[in-house]
Amino acid sequence: MLTQALLLGLIAGIGILDSRLFGVLMLERPLVLGALVGLVLGDFKTGIIIGAQLELIWMGIAGIGSSTPPDVVTGGVLGTAFAILSGKGPEVALALAVPIAVLAQSLGVLVRVVNTYFIHKADSYAKSADFKKVTLMIWIPVALFFLSVFIPTFLAVLLGAETVTNLINSVPKVILEGMTIAGNLLPAIGFALLIDMLISKKMAVFFFVGFLAASYSSLDVMAIALIGVCMAIILNFIMNDSNHLTKKKDEPDNLTEGEINFD
Amino acid sequence: MTEEKKLRKKDLRSVFWRSFALQGAFNYERMQNLGFCYTMIPVIKRLYEKQEDQSLALKRHLEIFNTTPVVSPTIAGITAAMEEQNANNKDFDTSSINAVKTALMGPLAGIGDSLFWGTLRIIAAGIGISLAVQGNIIGPLLFLLLYNIPNILVRFFGLKYGYSVGVNSLERIQKEGLMDKIMAVATTVGLVVVGAMVATMLKVTTPLKFNVNGAEVVIQDILDQILPNILPLTLTFIVFWMLRKKFSISKLTIGIIFFGIIIHWIGIL
Repeated sequence: MLTQALLLGLIAGIGILDSRLFGVLMLERPLVLGALVGLVLGDFKTGIIIGAQLELIWMGIAGIGSSTPPDVVTGGVLGTAFAILSGKGPEVALALAVPIAVLAQSLGVLVRVVNTYFIHKADSYAKSADFKKVTLMIWIPVALFFLSVFIPTFLAVLLGAETVTNLINSVPKVILEGMTIAGNLLPAIGFALLIDMLISKKMAVFFFVGFLAASYSSLDVMAIALIGVCMAIILNFIMNDSNHLTKKKDEPDNLTEGEINFD
Repeated sequence: MTEEKKLRKKDLRSVFWRSFALQGAFNYERMQNLGFCYTMIPVIKRLYEKQEDQSLALKRHLEIFNTTPVVSPTIAGITAAMEEQNANNKDFDTSSINAVKTALMGPLAGIGDSLFWGTLRIIAAGIGISLAVQGNIIGPLLFLLLYNIPNILVRFFGLKYGYSVGVNSLERIQKEGLMDKIMAVATTVGLVVVGAMVATMLKVTTPLKFNVNGAEVVIQDILDQILPNILPLTLTFIVFWMLRKKFSISKLTIGIIFFGIIIHWIGIL
């Protein structure tokens, strides 16, 4: 268990460093971390499946700007790990991952507050143009971020696995089934967040193009995405270009409002 | 006349690698400032010899900075070009460096967020998830590839052109309206994919049945005849409406978990 706890802590560490050190390569996403957790715990397939389900739930959650989102790294790694260790599958992952992510978020906030201290130190090292010390001031926060997920994950797996398994086993069946239903509903939040970010009055129709294409045909997401790309290029580059000569310069693009000149 | 100072390829390569650590010391006071300063260190070292000038440059880049990581190399490239001018020209207005940085970080973050975070990530995740739900390892791998190939390309060429063409490049793109078009394409595809995902990945069905004069009426069949996936669609728009009404994400999450358990217990879902 010690080795597994160490490795899982390391996976969480890689996850948190993705945004810190690796320029957000999406290694932090549950879809990737879930597979890694599965690999460490010897159940690769379940890990991938749970990762996909957590990704659906958390897809819309973003750290845009200065806001701190729920910690999907610790939540995702621990949720997947406990689900595999207890042998209960995806519904348990979700029941655990969501609250853990909210709890773990506070540690991330703490690190971001503490980092201010190192920023001020960097200011004073900049005065004497001490490049080495300024550089050191970025590496200490990186280490803090790493520890802020490594320690909780390591300890939770090492000390908590049995307790959590017992806890899960004591939950009535109807509640666990209800959790599965809830898990199926939760991605709606992610989708709603994405719609909130993308939608405007004249663009809303494209949501329904995708929805109806998927509902009435057997096309998969990949196919619909590619058709969407073609459609968007036709609308924005081809039809709009023929419009170019007649359009006044400062006029905003109002493609979907029927001002197209078919000359 | 002193020798003209010029950045070398090696310096820019170093800037490229360092730019990945942009958020290493993320903090609430000045966000990514230390990360950006760290990115610029090779430039500062090459261009300025006097300790006084180095110190000023370090301080300059410790000012507040916040953008979306994928566009930070572009800004670093433009900034490097301006630092180079500053090092060679005594009359150069030094304050314009930070003015340009500040002017760029907002709009570029907007573009980067909607192109990468809002669209590319969703398309990549949508395709990845559709394979991963069956336990297929191609799912996570395809997700990483689809996202990161454009991600790395934009980082690399953004830095390169940001440095060689400078601020003018962005003005030109803006004037030709190319950026607006790319944004419109991204938003369109993003919405189409989200629509498709609501239909395929949100599993909401009801087991409700009624007996009318001995004939069994399955509610789900009736709903499917009206509009397939009408329940997922309705649910998504209810949540969307609640988001617009400023319900917090945590409240919505907890609310949906309880709603799911209760509604299953009653037998509606």
